[in-house]
Amino acid sequence: MMSFIFKPLCIALLLSGLFSLVWLKSNVVTLEYKLSALEKKKAEYLKERRILLAEKASLQSYESVEASLRGDHDFVFPDRVKVVHVTPVRNKYREGVGLSNGVKRQKGSLTKKASLEKRQSAGP
Amino acid sequence: MNTIIIFSFFAVFFRLTDLMILSHKRLSEKAKQQHIKVEDIQIRRGIIFDRQGRELALNLELESLYCEPDSLNLDNESVRKLASTIAKEPEVILTKIPSEGKFAWIERKLEPDIAERVKGLNIKGLGFMNEAKRVYPKGKLASHVLGFVGVDNQALEGIELQYDRYLKTRGGKVFFGRDASGRTLSSGVDKEAKGNNIVLTIDEGLQGIVEKEIEKAMLQWGAAAASAIMMDPFTGEILALANRPSYDPNNPGKVNDFEKRNRAITDCYEPGSTFKTVVGIAALEENIARPDMLFDVGKGGIEVGGKIIRDVHRHGILTFNEVIQKSSNVGSVMIGMRLGKERVYKYAKLLGFGEKTGIDLPGEVSGWIRPPERWSGTSIGAIPIGQEVAVTPLQVLRAYSAIANGGSLVRPHVVSEIISPEGKLLVSLRDMEMNRIISKKTAETFKDILKGVVEEGGTGKSASIEGNEVAGKTGTAQIINPKTKRYSKEKFVSSFVGFVPADNPRLALIVVIYEPKGQIYGGVVAAPVFRGITNQALSYLDIPMEDNPHKNPLLVSR
Repeated sequence: MMSFIFKPLCIALLLSGLFSLVWLKSNVVTLEYKLSALEKKKAEYLKERRILLAEKASLQSYESVEASLRGDHDFVFPDRVKVVHVTPVRNKYREGVGLSNGVKRQKGSLTKKASLEKRQSAGP
Repeated sequence: MNTIIIFSFFAVFFRLTDLMILSHKRLSEKAKQQHIKVEDIQIRRGIIFDRQGRELALNLELESLYCEPDSLNLDNESVRKLASTIAKEPEVILTKIPSEGKFAWIERKLEPDIAERVKGLNIKGLGFMNEAKRVYPKGKLASHVLGFVGVDNQALEGIELQYDRYLKTRGGKVFFGRDASGRTLSSGVDKEAKGNNIVLTIDEGLQGIVEKEIEKAMLQWGAAAASAIMMDPFTGEILALANRPSYDPNNPGKVNDFEKRNRAITDCYEPGSTFKTVVGIAALEENIARPDMLFDVGKGGIEVGGKIIRDVHRHGILTFNEVIQKSSNVGSVMIGMRLGKERVYKYAKLLGFGEKTGIDLPGEVSGWIRPPERWSGTSIGAIPIGQEVAVTPLQVLRAYSAIANGGSLVRPHVVSEIISPEGKLLVSLRDMEMNRIISKKTAETFKDILKGVVEEGGTGKSASIEGNEVAGKTGTAQIINPKTKRYSKEKFVSSFVGFVPADNPRLALIVVIYEPKGQIYGGVVAAPVFRGITNQALSYLDIPMEDNPHKNPLLVSR
């Protein structure tokens, strides 16, 4: 009686195990195809991003900004004689709560600020 | 029937034995070749930024066109269409295609729209491969600093060459599985390898100002060439370095060597009066002279080794200050003779002449000054006024920076940081040690003397700017005619070197104009360029004026 139930059960388990393995394997392959397609799409987007970055850098160049502002909007360098620099009065309360510049200073400042800027802020 | 069945079993058995044992290795290799696709990992050079993080050199991914000659189907009509699409002569394309073989380049790094049009031609045997192309989005700007790369992204000039080992990286191979229809499976590996990024000390804004002004001067004076360097006198950080003629590094193939030359560090010239600083500093340092000491230059000339050296304008009795302020040749030679050749040579070397500055750009020359034992009888009359010596603009700027910073020689440099692709700081080249060469007192005294050059009565009055004191020196030097081996009467080098604000220097700048037409004097040709650049640069850097005239204030800032 037991063997009558046990044998078909074993065969069914074996078959279902085999099918599961095949199913899993085919699913992995399908996923790899999908991943590959997504990687291609990502590469396309990255390529486009690089082109846009280069275009942005070119449009933001000193020369093109100056040319466009001067041409259409008559912008000029400020006349230094007419610019007065006013040092703001320090407000201890605002500094205490981190509002001295309206926003909190970013931690780990950008690497680009070199000693020229450092000395400028500590200048006369 | 039984025989057929048994025979069939044996046939299957032998075939299986052949497939699984005898031919296993060969077939397994063949299967691998069909299933596995190998691709090169794309190498991307690091990005070059200016000091504010603006991209000066980056990479684009473009498609390169190749052909498989064995399977190429290219008739005359297709060649003609292809040639017109990629804007080449049909003959040029045909020379690139061998009669047999598996691979040949036709055109590298096509613009995206052209690549799409070529794809639209549907020519069998043509293929595309992605390649990185180096681009310089600012065009000509700072081209002599950045340099350029070749078609295979090999470094050829400038920072690209000097820091090639940081910018480039190793490639390698990446393996993919693929099916019978050619569809690939994900490898799970990044197909790109990125080099380290470089942050320059150059500021794009200042560089733009400098380039614009020397371009203007070139046109105004019909000059053969021009150079300008702006430096932080305390740190040696080069803020701008420009030469004219210049070139677009995006098309280096179309440029000749004359345009490519970074003459600010590779070309020597006789400095003329800007070299008078050497004898001036030496005299103060050695207590040979005081600022108020008098020199009788009334004769207008002085004989040295049988040769008479004259002043451009005749002066009477001048103080030591006035000798420099009015750029008196006679007075400078008198000071030089009092010092003697050993001490003149010693201070020229101390101020860095005759030696490379060590700037991190390729091609720098050392210039030269002969050791005293090789001086001729007239050398002590020539060297104090900047003849018989060869210097680069950068050497002169460094010497004047020593006066600006209180007596120390800096090492000029254009790179401030090297950063890994993940953003980790690898190397920082900031705040390097300075080497004191003259006393602070001498530097301060000489700074005051140089202020006088730009004031009323000085040769560099046209370098003065409103609101800030300028210290500097003019220079006018003759060029030796290579045919006659004598000084040319038509060809001159006009220069101005100085720093601003004089008492708290933020910028040191040299302007050198080669072979100006119409005018020759540094005070007329180069000094106004200095003024034009510094005026805008101080405004750009938001450096306030020292005096406050309260005249029609326009805006309030800070």
